[in-house]
Formats: sequence, structure tokens, C-alpha cells
Amino acid sequence: MGKYILKRVLQFIPVFLGVTLILFAMENIVPGDPIKLMAGEKKLDPQTEITLRASYHMIETDDNGNPIYDEAGNTIETPMWKRYGLYVGGLLHGDLGTSFQRTGQPVADILLQKYPYTVRLAIVAIILEAIVGIGAGMVSAIKRYSFWDILVTLITSILVAMPAFWFGMLLQLFFGIVLKDVTGGSVYLPISGAGGPNAEFADWVYYILPACTLAAVSTAYCARIMRSQLLEVLNQDYIRTARAKGLSRRDVIWHHALKNALIPVVTYIGIDFGAMMAGAILTETVFNWPGVGYETYRAITQRDWPIVLGSVTVIVVVVMVINLIVDVSYAFLDPRIRYGAGKSE
Amino acid sequence: MADKLMMGRRTFVAGSLAASALAALAGCGKKDAGAGAGAAAGGTMKFYINDPVAIDPYNTQESEGTQVEHILFDALTDYDWNKKEIVPKAAESWEANADATEWTFHLVKGAKFHNGDTVDAKSFKRAWERICDPKMTTPSKISYHLAPVMGYDAISEGNAKELSGVTCPDEYTLKVKLTAPMADFPYVVAHPALAPVPQAALDDPASFLTAPIGNGPFKMDGKWESGQYINVVRFDDYYGQKATLAGINFSIQKDPDTAFREFEAGNMDFTDIPAGRLKEISDKYGTSKDGYTVTKGAQALTGAEASIYFLAINMKDPVMQDLNLRKAMSLAINRQNIVDTLFEGSRKAANSAFPAIIDDNASNAWEFCKYDKDAAKKIVDDNGLAGTEITLSYNSGGGHEDIMSIIQADLEAVGLKVKQASMEWASYLTALGDGNYQVGRLGWNADYPTMDNFLYPNFYSTADNNYSAYKNEEVDAAIDAARQIVDEEARKAEYRRINVMIGNDLPIIPIMFYGHNKVGSARIQNFYFDAQNKGEFATAKLEG
Amino acid sequence: MTEEMEKNEVTESPVTTDGDIDTSAPARTLWGDAWSRLRRNKLAIFGAVWIVLMILVALTADLWVPQTLGSPTEADSTTMTQDSRLPPSPEHPFGTDTLGRDVLCRVIYGARISLAVGVLATAISTIIGLVMGALAAYYGGIWDTIIMRLADIFLAFPYILFVIAMLAVIGPGIQNVFIAIGILGWPSIARVFRSAILSVKENDYVDAARAMGASDARIVARHIFPNSVASIVVYATMNIGGAILTESALSYLGMGVVPPDPSWGIMIQDGQTYLATQPWLMLMPGLAILTTVLAFTLLGDGLRDALDVKMKDA
Repeated sequence: MGKYILKRVLQFIPVFLGVTLILFAMENIVPGDPIKLMAGEKKLDPQTEITLRASYHMIETDDNGNPIYDEAGNTIETPMWKRYGLYVGGLLHGDLGTSFQRTGQPVADILLQKYPYTVRLAIVAIILEAIVGIGAGMVSAIKRYSFWDILVTLITSILVAMPAFWFGMLLQLFFGIVLKDVTGGSVYLPISGAGGPNAEFADWVYYILPACTLAAVSTAYCARIMRSQLLEVLNQDYIRTARAKGLSRRDVIWHHALKNALIPVVTYIGIDFGAMMAGAILTETVFNWPGVGYETYRAITQRDWPIVLGSVTVIVVVVMVINLIVDVSYAFLDPRIRYGAGKSE
Repeated sequence: MADKLMMGRRTFVAGSLAASALAALAGCGKKDAGAGAGAAAGGTMKFYINDPVAIDPYNTQESEGTQVEHILFDALTDYDWNKKEIVPKAAESWEANADATEWTFHLVKGAKFHNGDTVDAKSFKRAWERICDPKMTTPSKISYHLAPVMGYDAISEGNAKELSGVTCPDEYTLKVKLTAPMADFPYVVAHPALAPVPQAALDDPASFLTAPIGNGPFKMDGKWESGQYINVVRFDDYYGQKATLAGINFSIQKDPDTAFREFEAGNMDFTDIPAGRLKEISDKYGTSKDGYTVTKGAQALTGAEASIYFLAINMKDPVMQDLNLRKAMSLAINRQNIVDTLFEGSRKAANSAFPAIIDDNASNAWEFCKYDKDAAKKIVDDNGLAGTEITLSYNSGGGHEDIMSIIQADLEAVGLKVKQASMEWASYLTALGDGNYQVGRLGWNADYPTMDNFLYPNFYSTADNNYSAYKNEEVDAAIDAARQIVDEEARKAEYRRINVMIGNDLPIIPIMFYGHNKVGSARIQNFYFDAQNKGEFATAKLEG
Repeated sequence: MTEEMEKNEVTESPVTTDGDIDTSAPARTLWGDAWSRLRRNKLAIFGAVWIVLMILVALTADLWVPQTLGSPTEADSTTMTQDSRLPPSPEHPFGTDTLGRDVLCRVIYGARISLAVGVLATAISTIIGLVMGALAAYYGGIWDTIIMRLADIFLAFPYILFVIAMLAVIGPGIQNVFIAIGILGWPSIARVFRSAILSVKENDYVDAARAMGASDARIVARHIFPNSVASIVVYATMNIGGAILTESALSYLGMGVVPPDPSWGIMIQDGQTYLATQPWLMLMPGLAILTTVLAFTLLGDGLRDALDVKMKDA
């Protein structure tokens, strides 16, 4: 097992280097000079432009940080490999660089401010997903072909087929606007923002609609997986044997079938947590949520590469670590699985 | 069967529980109306902004950051839009030498920063040197404001530690030497970015970025929560007229649409009107009489702004070098139709390089900056320009597509062939800066409300913002000369002459002047929102 | 969204029949059986009928839509003010938008964009995925390692951010949207195809063909591809729905189709402003996306059950 974990961790390295390198190359391919963009429509004066390029190590500087000029009086561009080296070197010291467009703010500070909102939202969504998804899946499997089964199947099919951002707007429409009209303004939910000192509601109320939106599609998949897993387990010999031995259906389901059926569901939920971190862009856009998804989207459109690099790298690492934890715990839960012996994956 | 029924009942119970829980949630999650910061005397105004670039004066540039920064900090002077003149702020008086190269500002005595430090001449010198310092973690992008000051080159190139042109003869006197005469200098120092900073700005620059300490009528309450809010509260030790409002909650929203939804839900006091809804909103909330002041029943603002929307012409492009072609294009565009159909009249058809609120003299109108389709057609036919191919470049989004489509149709109606090239913002700006365009859309917001600030940056041959690459030695020399004229009226007359001179060359085609497109809530009394998009929060009141 | 597509691999509808893919069975029986099973699946048939209907309407739109409902893109500035944001009525069944254009008309033309993006993007990712999957599975060794590591790097990226970044490189517009979605969608298809080939490769008849001196390309084309085609068809059908969702998300964010082209995502974004006052502006295009994607999902589910493809983690 230890060997397997080590092997997986070592596999992080090429993926991590590949991801950062692709992003770094992108900075050179994508049109739009981030320094020229800094002042918007107003053009930067040439001296300021040089000063800014020097401060971001885009041009060669001497030991005092002053730009070096060639014989013709032009600045010398720092080659990409050297800047990549500087970046990875900085990373090892925990330095993620400084934002281009958010004046003077370290990327680490911005991410530390944004990540908690995304992580908390994802946690609430995951809890929702687990409770509702597993519950609905169980009902659906136990009462196979019943009205409830058909209802769950219908709802999950619809949830899976709708754009998540549109579902968010439907929630805004019903809980923020229609409900407010119907109840004469006494009962409704906030439709944007994350609260704060001057907000109308307590902070936790602001999580309700975005979390439902973020969880919607995943909950539908979770319910479908739970259903098919439980059906499969219930069909297996040992369950039939247990039933034949006279155990009640309820005992069989709760004490034998459920545990085995839950393993792949838990795996799915674990992996989904990583996916939610990245997939929150649209939810964050619809609900004006101050998280990392929207920040990364903003950074791409404004060519704020240090932020893009930082946030995507963190997401990638988090997803890889979660996947590893899921795989390892899978092995603990299911004795039939053994890693590290012969067959890979 | 019984099993099934039971499950049904249980689910039903669960369902109703969930529904009632939701309703209860909304109820108990709601804060008491009296418990919030709104309860403090004077009330808290909720004001929509986008996430700013910076609220620290050393990099204050766009409208959103300026909105917050200009009430945290007081610069030396201020421009009064009603009196149309420069008035004292942190400086109570000032004088210049005969040729306007040396300025002396006398500061208000006893003014304090929010942390209790004294606002002295040194705090201005400190602030200005910070702006020029190339060794800041992120150097300032707006040091150009100080380019006229002696010693600017040396400090910004890293060859000096001090801005040598700025001296402090005593605690409350600031002396500024310029490299060339500039009679408009008091307008320059009215810019919010040139406000003073306390020693704390140098000691802890990182916190100063998100919680700056200023000398203005409001101070930070906590720090800037990116993407969420910036809260400020009244500064009770302010040297001038103290504010009535207890505070302002700058609510950061991603776009005007979201902000407007909050406004309609009663959660916002001041916001932008979404595109295409001006008429409906004006009918519902009433239109402000002067276009700048919000009062109950007259809440929609449509006053002119100190800015212009124009087509820059690449004067290095062989096709566009033909003056007749530029004249024909300018005459062919029906500007009134654009502002009427797309902006419901909130913007005004442009006829000059600057709007009337900067200078309303009738002689400012450019000869070819009007709609005359027949004249345009005649120029095209007489000069064999029919079928000339022109590419109109612009950035996608922001409603430019519709404007460009109308312009395209107008130009084609007089026989020109027009292609649209829409690019993403970042790519577009780069293309424009590199001169890879023929005709491109641009906007200009005045830093200082002077004619010079419209003419110099855009038309002086070596000015940074001269995207058109316009070069007319006569214009350059005339601007240099005008800057030295100390007499206000004589200087204005000279700028009017220069404006007409540029108008005859048409290095840009003016399209329209921007106007306010804002609405305030009925709670607001007497809130003035000026032509440079700065709110006079210090004099605003809230009802209830 | 790929994220969603990956989830599809592990889902089954209530009418699933279990069992592994029976690759050794003669092809004709497989397809014949599949058809008779598919015919009995009402939901799948409903999906198929809906898709055919959509395609017909989208293809023939030019012949009748502009005549009855007006232009989907051009606004008439003379009548704009009185035609702006009218509620649904017999004359405008879905109402009108801010510029006075008929929403039904725009939804119909939006179907063209969505279907084109869905089908073409899926075609691109399927082709790339097939080649990559075949190379990895058939040659194994270093090929397998390189291609699968590359797939890992691609899958490690947050998908939607990756597409946005790609569009920043190549610029917005319809063709760039399906190119971006197509190019970035290959890793999951490559994985599915790779495992399909690996399971077929072990069969005796492949060994027999090789022993008879057949070339690698011939073996893949004649023996392996036909036997994996069932899983490819199912996967591609489901992928179309995912590509349509991705397109709508991109257009909603303003990175996809460029206005005035009537993409459903753009229409939702436009309508969002009027959520409180004219909700049909965002409801109608959203319903169009929902029904279209649902149709592809139902058909995909039906095909999977009919073709007896077990879509587990590849």
C-alpha cells in the first residue's frame, strides 16, 4: 500500500509540471499584453511600462532591480524558460507571485480570500448531495418500478439535462421573486452575494440557493448511481442467501446491502468534491459569489496570468490529492481491491 | 402495499418539513432592521460598484476605485462643477510665479489622517514619491500625472530617491517646481490620486492597499473584501464639513444587471440603469432636474459626463491618410440616430473633441462633425472613393456591436465598403496599441476637466494616448504655447483655436458624448453625482 | 461539460439490463437485437423523435421562419420601442426580446447553433479520441504511457476553465467554440475506446488475424473497430448533450457564440436582466436546452441498454 501511495504521489509531479507549463506557454500564445492592459484604454507611458515589466521579471534586470538595456537602448526580454524557473522556484518558497490587474496584491492573499468561500460552498453542496442523492437512490432502488422510482428517475434526468446556471436562475426566480410576491414580501431568500456586515440576512442564509444550484446535477448522478449499485448488490448471491436464511428484507438492506452499495457512491462523492471546486464558476457568476471560480474566469479574460496559474495549480493539486484519498480509502473499504500488486488501475 | 404507503407518508412528511423549514429559514435568518449598521445616525447608503483596480491613491485610475478613494482622501484642490472652477480642499490657498513654473500651496492647518497623524506638506511629498517609485511591489501605472514636475524622470528611472521638484519649506507649505509652464496645474493636483498619505503607507504597504488611511470625510471600516464589499464610516475628526451619512456600503457586484436586480428588490440605494431601460426607469422613478442630483421623485440621472466615444483613425494607414475620405466618413454617420435608438437620448451626438460641460463656446464645433449624407456622397463621388474598403475594429461585448452596425450601414450608404472586426478586449487593446488597425473604437475619460486634457493626451504627437499617431507640428507648438498662458480667458481662447485646427484634420471621428445612466433610491435626499462619476457623499442625506 | 459526461459512464436508468458486452456475437444479430429492444423503449423513441423534429425545423428554418416571425438577428430601429419585450401572445408565442425580435424565431435559429456545435464538437473529439485510444491500446508500452499521462494532464485541468482559456487563444465565434470543445473532449473518449480495444484485443480471432499476416491498421479497422462501435455510438450520443450544455455555458459567460447570432446561452444571459419583470426571456431558451439535452440523454440511455453496453469507469 505504501508503495502504491508513493507511486501515485510521484505521478503528481509530471501532471503538475505539465499543467503549469501549459499555462505558462499560454501566457505567450494568448493575444493581449497584460502590462498594456493595466491602464485600460489609456495608454501607459513608456517608462512606466518598462518599470512594470521589470517588476514582474518580464525583462532582464540588474541586482538592484533596474532594467538592463542593450546597445540599441532597448530592454531585453527574459526568456520563457527562465521565467518558468523563477516561478517554480518561487512556488517552492510558497510565493505565487503578484497579481497583474489587482494592484500589488499577492496571488496567495487573493486565493486565501477567495478559496474559503468556494470550499465552504462545495462542502454544503456535498452534504446536500450525499443526503438527498443517497436517500432518493435508496427509495428508488428499494421501491423499484414504483411511483417513487419513476419520479426520481424523471427528476434526475431533467436535472442532468439542464444548464446548472439556468437552474440557479430558476431558484432565484421562485425563492427570490415569486415567493416574495406571493407572501407579500415576508418570506423569500437572498439571490446574490455572500452576506457581510450590512447584509439583510445572516451569512448562512446566503448559502442556500447557490449550494442547491451547485449540488443539483451531482445529486442527480448520485441518486442514479446509488440506485443501480443497490440493485446490483441486492441481486447478488450472498444477499439472496441471507434472505433465504430468513432475515427480513429490512435487515438485509440495512445491515448487508447498503454498506457494499455505498462504496462506489462515496467514491463518486469524493471525486465530485474536487470537480465542484472548479465547476463553481457558473454558480458563482449567477449568484455573485466571491469565490475562486469567478476569480479565475476574470483572470483569464483580463490576462491576469499569476492568478490563473495560482488558482488552477491549487485546484489541480487538490483534485489529485482527493482522488488519491478516495482510491486509498476505497481499498480499505473493499477488501477485494488490492493496489500495487501487478495490474495497474 | 402497506410498506409502500408508509414510505409515501414518510416522504410526504419529509417534503412538507423541508418546505416549511425553507420558509422558517428565511424568517430566522433575517437580521432585525434595527440591529444592522443602518441603525447608526445618518444611515448607511448602499452603493453599487464593480470590483476596483485599487483604492490606494498611488494607483487610483478607473471610476470604481476613484469612487471609494476620493472620499477617503482629500487632494490639494477640487473642481466645483457648479461654479465651474477650482476650489480649495486640503490646500486653503495657492499661488504661482509669473510664468506658471513654480507653485506654492498653503495647507489647511490641523487636518488629521484617520490614524491621527497630521496632514503636512511632507505627507504630499511622500505620496507623490510613492507614485513615482519604480521599486514598489507593483509600480504605479499613473505616475504620468506627475510628469510635469521637475525631477520626475530621475526618480521614475530609478536614478534618484526623491522628487527634487517638490519641497517643504515649512510644515504647511508645499512648493512644486515644474519643468515647463503649466497654468492648469491646480486642475492636475485636484486628481484624487495625488492625495497625501501618512507614514503608515510606507511602513505597511500591503495593508495600505486594502485598508488605506486617508484624510477624507470617510474612513475605512474593516478592509476591502474583494468581490463583496468595501465599508466606510464617517470620520468624526474631519477638518472640513463633517458628513451626515453614518457610512457607505460599497456593494461590489459583477455587472449592472445583478446590481439592478438588487436595486429593484430594495437592497441598493444607487446603481446603473441596465441597457435599454432608461425610459421605463425614468418614468417610474422620475428624472433628476439638473441630471446630477438625486432627490425623492427625481431619481434617474442623465447628466453629461466629461468623456467622449470616438473612432480613432490610424493616420499611418495609407488608405486613411486621405483627408477627403475622413471628411466623407464623418459626414456620413448619423450620430443622432445612434444616441436615440441605442441610448434613448442619454448620450449626446458629438460635434467636437470635448463635450459642452468642459467648454460650451459655440466655436468648438468641428466643421465636418455633423450628419450630411448628400455632402458625404458628393465627396466620395468627386474623389473616386466609392468602393474603398475600410475595416472597423472594436472590442466585443459592451454593446459596441450595435453601434458599429449602424455606423457600417451609414458608411455603406454613401458608397464605402465596410468590414467589421470584433475582438476580445485584451486582444483589441494590443492591436490598437501596435497600430494594427484602420479605424477603431475608443473612449476617453478626462483626468482633469480641462480642454487641455482632451487635446494634449490624444493629439500631441508624442503623447502616450495618441493612438491615431497624429502629428501636426503646428498643433504641438500651439499646445506648448497655450499651457504657458496664465490668463484664464486667453488660455481658453487659444485651446478653442487648437481644437478647431485639429477638427479640420480629423485624426479621430467623434461619435458621442457619454451621459449618466444611473438611478438612486427614494431614501436618498440631495445626493450629487458629478460629471466625472464622483459622488458627493459628504453632503448627501438618507431618509429613515 | 465533461464533468457531467464522465458521470454518465457510471449511470444506469431503471430499465437497464445487466451484463457484459458480448463482443464475440456476430454483428448483425447485435444490431438487429438492439433495434428490437430500442423500439420497445418509449423514452428513447421519444428522444429520437424529438431530435429528428429539431433537426427538421433547424434545417428548414430559412424557408418559413423569417416569413412568419421575422429576422432572428436584425432589429428594426423604427419599431423597436413598441415591440420591445412583449409578453407571449398568439402573434409572438414566446414574446419578444429587448430589440423587438421574436423569441420563438431566435430559439429556432438557436437550435441550429446548438445542434451544429453538439454534433461537430462530438465528431472532433470522437475522431481524436479514437486515434489516441487506438494508439494507446494497440501499441501499448511507451505509447500507452505517454498518451494516458497526456490524458491525465488534460483531465486534471478544470474543464470549463480550460475551454475558456482555449477560446481566449483562438477567439470567440461558432466554429471556434466547437473546435475548442471538440479538441478538449478527447481524453474521456480515448479512455473508453482504449479499454474497449483492450477487451477485444484478447480475443482469439484477433490473434488469428495477426497470425494470418494482417497489418495493424487492418486489424484495427476490420476487427477491433466494428466490435467497439457500440460503445462509441452510445458515448457519442451522450456527448452531444454535454457539448450543447458546454456551449450554452460559454455563451452565457460571453466567451462563446458572438451576438447577434441567437445562441440559447446568450439569450439566457440577455434575459437574466429581466428575471423579475419578463421571466419568459430566460425561461424559453432554457427549456429549449433542457428538452434537447434530455432527448439526447434518453436516446443515449436507450441505445446503451439496447446495445447492451456497460459503461463503467474506463
